[in-house]
Order: sequence, then structure tokens, then C-alpha cells
Amino acid sequence: MDMIVQMLPQLLIDGLTLGFVYAIVALGYTMVYGILEFINFAHSEIFMVGAFAGTETLLFLQSAGYLENMPAPLALFLAVGVGIILSGLLGVTVERIAYKPVRHAPKLVAFISAIGVSFFLQDAVRLIEGLWKNAFYLSTPQLFDSSIQIMDTMKIPVKVIYIVAIAIVMMVALSLFVGKHKWGKAMRTVAQDKDTAALVGINVDAVISLTFLIGAGLGGAAGTLFSVQYTLISPYVGFILGMKAFTAAVLGGIGSIPGAMLGGLLLGLVEVFGAAFLGIATGGVIGAEYKDVLAFTILIIILIFKPSGLLGKAVVEKV
Amino acid sequence: MDTIKNYFRLIKEKQLIQLVLIFLAPILFYLFSKSSIIFLLFLASLFLLYRIRLDMKIKGIVALLDLLLIIPLAGLENSYYLGIITQIVIYAVLAIGLNVVIGFAGLLDLGYVGFYAVGAYLYAFFATSQANNVIPESIYQFPLSGNWFWLFLPLALIVSAGMGVLLGLPVLRLKGDYLAIVTLGFAEIIRIILNNADKPINLTNGPKGLTPVKPPEIFGIVMNQPIHFYFIVLVLFVIVFISAYRLDHSRIGRAWAAIREDELAARTMGIPLVRMKLLAFATGAGFAGMMGVVFAARQTFVDPSSFGFMESIGILAMVIMGGMGNIRGVIVGAAAVVILQLHLLKELSTFLTQLSVSGILYIPSQLDPAKYEKLVFGLILILMCVFRPKGLMPAKRTMELIKGFRKKLTKESLS
Amino acid sequence: MALLEIKNLSKAFGGLVAVNQVDFVMNEGQIASIIGPNGAGKTTFFNIISGYYPGFDGTITFDGKGLINLTPEKVAKHRIARTFQNIRLFPEMLAVENIMVGMHMDLKASIFHIVLHSGGMKREEGEAYEQAVELLKYVGLETRKNELAKNLAYGEQRRLEIARAIAMKPKLLLLDEPAAGLNPKETEELKNFIGKLRDDFGCGILLIEHDMKLVMEISDKVAVLNYGEKIAEGAPDEVKNNPMVIEAYLGIEDEDEEEAV
Repeated sequence: MDMIVQMLPQLLIDGLTLGFVYAIVALGYTMVYGILEFINFAHSEIFMVGAFAGTETLLFLQSAGYLENMPAPLALFLAVGVGIILSGLLGVTVERIAYKPVRHAPKLVAFISAIGVSFFLQDAVRLIEGLWKNAFYLSTPQLFDSSIQIMDTMKIPVKVIYIVAIAIVMMVALSLFVGKHKWGKAMRTVAQDKDTAALVGINVDAVISLTFLIGAGLGGAAGTLFSVQYTLISPYVGFILGMKAFTAAVLGGIGSIPGAMLGGLLLGLVEVFGAAFLGIATGGVIGAEYKDVLAFTILIIILIFKPSGLLGKAVVEKV
Repeated sequence: MDTIKNYFRLIKEKQLIQLVLIFLAPILFYLFSKSSIIFLLFLASLFLLYRIRLDMKIKGIVALLDLLLIIPLAGLENSYYLGIITQIVIYAVLAIGLNVVIGFAGLLDLGYVGFYAVGAYLYAFFATSQANNVIPESIYQFPLSGNWFWLFLPLALIVSAGMGVLLGLPVLRLKGDYLAIVTLGFAEIIRIILNNADKPINLTNGPKGLTPVKPPEIFGIVMNQPIHFYFIVLVLFVIVFISAYRLDHSRIGRAWAAIREDELAARTMGIPLVRMKLLAFATGAGFAGMMGVVFAARQTFVDPSSFGFMESIGILAMVIMGGMGNIRGVIVGAAAVVILQLHLLKELSTFLTQLSVSGILYIPSQLDPAKYEKLVFGLILILMCVFRPKGLMPAKRTMELIKGFRKKLTKESLS
Repeated sequence: MALLEIKNLSKAFGGLVAVNQVDFVMNEGQIASIIGPNGAGKTTFFNIISGYYPGFDGTITFDGKGLINLTPEKVAKHRIARTFQNIRLFPEMLAVENIMVGMHMDLKASIFHIVLHSGGMKREEGEAYEQAVELLKYVGLETRKNELAKNLAYGEQRRLEIARAIAMKPKLLLLDEPAAGLNPKETEELKNFIGKLRDDFGCGILLIEHDMKLVMEISDKVAVLNYGEKIAEGAPDEVKNNPMVIEAYLGIEDEDEEEAV
């Protein structure tokens, strides 16, 4: 029992850090779903591209000798910036090439197209990195190696503070944008009814592109933060993480922006605590290797019993 | 005079070349069973045989000769190509099964390979000594003999279909995209469990997998040669093909199509939605489970890595490429994807390596095409969805089969 | 004897009461109409009977049996068939198949009979096909039997949808604006056709319709809904001269689609 109490603070920090990554990725799923009622299956690869973009930026700074001499926060901001821009543009491109032509086809077709994009991007990044670096597993340079000791058993690494701070700033900015800005309002209008939105003069295509730009940009930022936190990435890093972020979006109520944030944090905590306690509870028989099962099981249970999630509205089908 | 005219017309329509190919390619394949080009030519001739307008009897005879004589004979000479053909047939069966779920009923099932794994592990568990970890050796000394293989085919079908029902009951109410994600999650859960269920009791032997799986046996003959498996999968293929075709052209097939087209209207016609979806889901799962047994017996070992998401997407690509809902199209899709994956990409890899080795052209090893299956599958899926969402051979609805019943009916009532 | 007896039927969406304490009775073999301005709750009324909205207040008695816990499948089992305001055929299926989908409830072949092609299954399918062709002939679409439903002309699709409903052997047929989009000549044909349907198949027919001429000429009784409430009911002539009905209709000329079905 003592061990558990001792672990608690550390687990809390780990869970929240992971939860913030999930939350930002979940935002991308939820925004696109809110507008197109479409699961952007390739969002996990947008995230992965962001991780590579951020890591490559840091590697470039390192090899050019700037990294040691510049303040670490600045390097982090630069990396996140590159991640946002590259992923954002990629998101818009993907939408134009692979989703827009099938927007009016049966939903199955759009979804399968998204799976295709996801697979294509995984190997495309592998190919590019393979040719460039002759390796497709990359180590992200360490930023901030210090920690702040808060209690005997609780140490917060400085990078976690930055990661969480950036995540919170982005979430607040997104909430303000969607709530207050002209384009944010247009987005909500399109989400409610595309045809009517078009009738009142909203450029629906532009709104959709913007949604992908923002959603993918957030995904890219999350990717960079992820690589800084966990420091090892591969082209296949997005897949499982994407599934979990999607679970988070569903948990919070898909289509709901606060829901995605809440769902992400909850899932991060559940996963970290679950992984730790599964082993203890079963005397080491079932351990952390089942943490993915935990996430998927949560997903299945929510979808069956409360498909609208924690903060989502139940949708009544128009007959 | 008319026949001559007919032949002229044939030439005009370039059918003559096709005709020649249909008869010549098998002979060439028999004679030069090692040539890669002639192998592809032979497969093309099989495809043409299906497309060409010809007397059904001649078609049937040539097809039977090709399948029952030419392929086995050439396969004795060159088991590599026989292996590819067997692989095509296995995937054709899997694709037909997935097509029942996706093409007929319109349910996006990304966990299909999970049922394949269930069948494979079911047989592998009892056909290796693994089962001794659970059942005391005093009761039975495992592995089971290869004679049990035949019983495990229907058993795996039933078990997998049952699991399909269990999974389907709660999730089939979900809408398309959600269903896809949940089935994907299910397949991942199965894979994680297979990977880790080596403790506390060693059930699956974890990532190392189970081996050696007993090959099938009949009348004392151990069937462990490529040619044996060719015939086994051919028989299963025929069974599955006919079953799927008949289901498609029946009240059940129409109910599936109706659900796919308009769920609410279908329910308004009194079609029990959940039951029909479950039936499609279970049928597909059953076929996959049955082929899992064949997979285990053919490979003689199973491990979790054979049942990843990639495998599901490969089969999905076959269905999408061939044309959702069209059984024959799906078979062509299976052939195309398997050849691309097993043959062309590998050939290209070897070719590029040779270039590098001989110093003509330096190709970095990272560029090895065989490593980029996902890129190829991804491209296939995107291109098909954007340009030919109904596949290369779109499904066409006909009443031919049922009209046949009607003719018989009128004949009966006349006599 | 009452075929359909509805008491105190209410249905609210959020705060909006779409149908408010409606009573309605119709007898076997009757043709009844529900009219009312757009948004009066007519289609909601139909959708409740069709089992599309699980929760509602009040009782529905059909053919002496209470309809509770409705789902569309259960409603179909009671032999209540319907058509839709904006035609909902199975577009990628053949015309004759659309009809055969309507016969689904009466076809019994199990999966084993189908896979093994048992004699019983073949006979059943053959007979079903013949009946379906007969039905197509009845609605004048025999030559179009092997067309995909989506390739039929608008008027043909309307007829096919009615034929599909008839294939369910209904005791009650609900027609949601069958004359919508038809020209006057087609509407005239439809009028005769609906009468013939009743005579040939003996089913009660309940329709929602905006075309007053059609309604007044073929209905045995008419009910008027306005803002979810029934404001009048009776023989066509009585209803036509009811001051409340005239008031409800005053100034309402547009033919916009109401709640999309």
C-alpha cells in the first residue's frame, strides 16, 4: 500500500502529461467530426509528421550548433512552430486530395480513403527519413534536463511544465477562436448545417479547409510535444496514439471541444494509473502490457452505453 | 459462310488474340513453369477466360483443365508459383468473406483479421503440444493428429462466427465509422492478448508463437506438400464462393443490400436489422476463422505478427479494388494485390539489389520496394476511392439465378 | 370495426410539441386523409405510427392490438406499410428487387436452405419473383423491372414505392404526400389508382396530402392538424366548410416541404 501512495504523485504527473497530448490530438478528431461527421483516420499520421518535423528542427539546430547556445524554450517554440505549420499544411493538402473528391460519396468511401492516406503517410515518412538519414527511428534531442522537486516523492521535470503550458495555451486559444472569432462562428454554423451555412453566405469549403488547418496544426504541435517528452519516434508512432486520442474524443463526446480536452485528460490518467495498478492488483500476472486493451475496452464500453460521450449531445436522426 | 464471318468479327474485336492466349498460355506455363512473365501471362489468361464471350461449356472445360491439371503439373515443377497461386486462392476466400460484411451488408469491419487469428490459434493450440499446458497429459497427449484438421475447419467456422455474434451484438447498432473503429479495437485486443497470454498459464506462447502445427492428414497420407494445400484451398474456395453467391441472390442478400442502401426504409419493410447485420458479420467471421485453420496448417507455425492491422487493410484493399459487392471482382482484386505484394514488389526488390550489387546503379537499401507495402496499399485505397469508388469491376445486380428457378417452376407446373 | 384507433397521442421534441393530444379513428377499407398547413405535425404523426420515435404519450390500437414499444420492424409485422414524402427506394437495386425486399417478411428460407439451394427455397424464390413481376405489372412498370430504381422517372419511382409497400400485404397503407411532384394528369391517375388499391387489396389507406382536390374526392374521412392539434375531423364536405380549417389555411399557399422525411 505504501508503494502505491508513494507512486501517486508521479503517476498523476505522468498521466496528466500523456493526457494533454491525447487531448490536443483528440481536438483534431473532434473538430473534423463536428463539421463533416467523418473520422479523419489519417489524423494520427498528421500527428506523426508533426513529431518528425519538430524533431528534425531540433536536430538541425543541434547539428548547426545553435541548440546549445540558445534558450531551451526558444528551441521548443521553434520546433512546435515548424510542427504546426508542416502538419497544418499537410492536413489541408490531404483534405483537398483525398477527402474533398469523396465528400458526397457514401461515408464508407471517405473513411477508406482516410485509411489509405494513413498508410501512405507512414511509409512516405519512412521513405523520406530512410533516404535522408538512413534510419527511420529518430531520437529527439533532450531539452530541459532539470526538474523541480516539490515533495519527497514528486519531481516535475521542467519540460513537462512547458509541455503542459503550451497545451493549455493552445486549448484556450482554440476555445476563444471558436467561441468569439468570426471564422470560429462560421465553423459552428457549418457544423450545424452545411446547406444553410452556404445559403447565408459562408464559404463552406474555406471553413472546412480552416478546420483541417487548425485540427492538423494542433496535431502537429502535439506530435512535437510528444517527441520532446518521450524522445523516440518512428513513422508508426501515430497509429496507437491516434486510436487512443480518438477514444478520448469519443469519451468526452465527439464533436465537443471541451469534451475532447476532458476525455484526453481522463484517458491519460486512466491509462497511467491502470497500467500501474493492473500489475499490483493481479499480483503481476496481468501487467502494463494490457494498457492498450484497457483503452480499447473503454472505447467499446462508451460506444455501447453512451455513444454521445460525457459532454456530447445525443443526436436524433433526422427522419 | 456465317462461321467465317463470325471469325472475322472475332479478329476485328481483338478477341482472337485473347482466344489464343486462353489456350496457349496454360501450355506455355506447363512447359516453362519457371518463367515469371509466362506465369503472369497464365494468370491473365485465367482472367480473360472469365471475361471473354465464349460458350459456357468450353469456358468450363478450359477452366477445369487450368485449375486441376495445368496448375498442379506446373506446380510440381515449380512450387514457388504454386505457392503464389495458393496464396491468391486463400486471400480470395478471405476477401469473399470480408466482401459479405462490407460489400453486401455495408458494414466496415476492420477487425476481420481477428477472426482469422481465432481460427489459426484454435487449430494451432490443439495441433501442437501447447494444449498440454491446460489439459493434463494423463487425459490426452497433444498434439492432435492431422486427421482432426478436417473437423477443425467447420469447428473454427462455428467458433469464429460465434465470436462474431458476441462482438456484433453490442456494436452493430453503431453507425459505420464507429463500427470500423470498434472492430479495429477488437482486432488489436486479440493481438495484444495473443502476444501476452503466455502467463500466468502459457496459452499462446506469446510473441514466439506456436509450432510445429500438425499438417492435415487423410487416409494415412500426410498432406504437407504445396500441391496438397493447393487442392485443399481450392475446395474451400469453391464452397465459399458458391455460398456467398447464393446468399447474395436470396432474400438474405436482398435484405443486406436494402440495409446498405437505406437502413430505415429496410426496417420499415420488416427486415430485422440487427439479426441481418449479425448474420453478415458472423458469415464473414466464419469464413475467416476457417481459413485461419488452413493458414496454421500450411505455415506450420502461428505468431501474433501475422494478424496485424496491415493484414486487415490488405484484404480491404482487395475488396475495394475488385469492387465492393461483386464476388468475382473481389477475386480479381485478391489476385492483383497478392501478385503485387508477393511477386512484383519482391521481383522489383531483387532486381534493384542486383543493380546495386553489379554496380550499375546504386540503390540505397532503404529504398527496397518490398518494405513499402503500406505505401502501395495506401495509394491503391486513395486512388480507388477518388477515381473508381465502385472498384475495377463494379457490382451489377441481376436476376439470372432466380429467373432460373422460375423456368424450373414453370416446367414443373407444366409436367 | 376500427382498424386504427389513436387516443391522446402526443410527441414533443425538446420543448416543441409536434403532436398534441390527437385522437383519430379509421375503419377497415376506409380511405382517410390527414391535412394541415406545413409544420402541422402530419409527418410526425406518420412517423410515430411507423415506429420511428420510440417515446410518445397516448395509445395506438391497431386491428384490436395495442402497439407499444414500437420499432419499425414491429410495425411492419403488424402489416402497416408506408411510403415516404421524398421517395426512399433502394436506389442501387433493381425495380423487381425493390418489390421483393417488400416481401421479405413472407419469405422464410433459412441460411442453410439458401446455401444448399433446397427445392423449397427455389420454389419460394421463383414464386416471389413471379408475384413481384405481377405487382410491377399492376403499377404499369413491368417493362422496367430490370432497371435500377434510381434510373426510373420520378412518377415511376412513386409507383414503385407504392408497389413495394403493397408487397408487404398491408392491412393499413400510409401514403406520405403521394401526389407531391406529380402533374395534374398524373394526380388524376393517382386518384383512381388509390381507389383501385383499396378495392383490390382491401387495405385501409391513410394519406397525408396537400392536394385538396385529391383529398376531397377520394377520402371517406378527413382529419385536420394545425400546430400539432387536431382542429377538425369528419366527412370531406364537413371539413371543407369548417371555419377553423379555413382560418388555418388562410394565406397559406406555399408548398414548401415540411419536416424532411
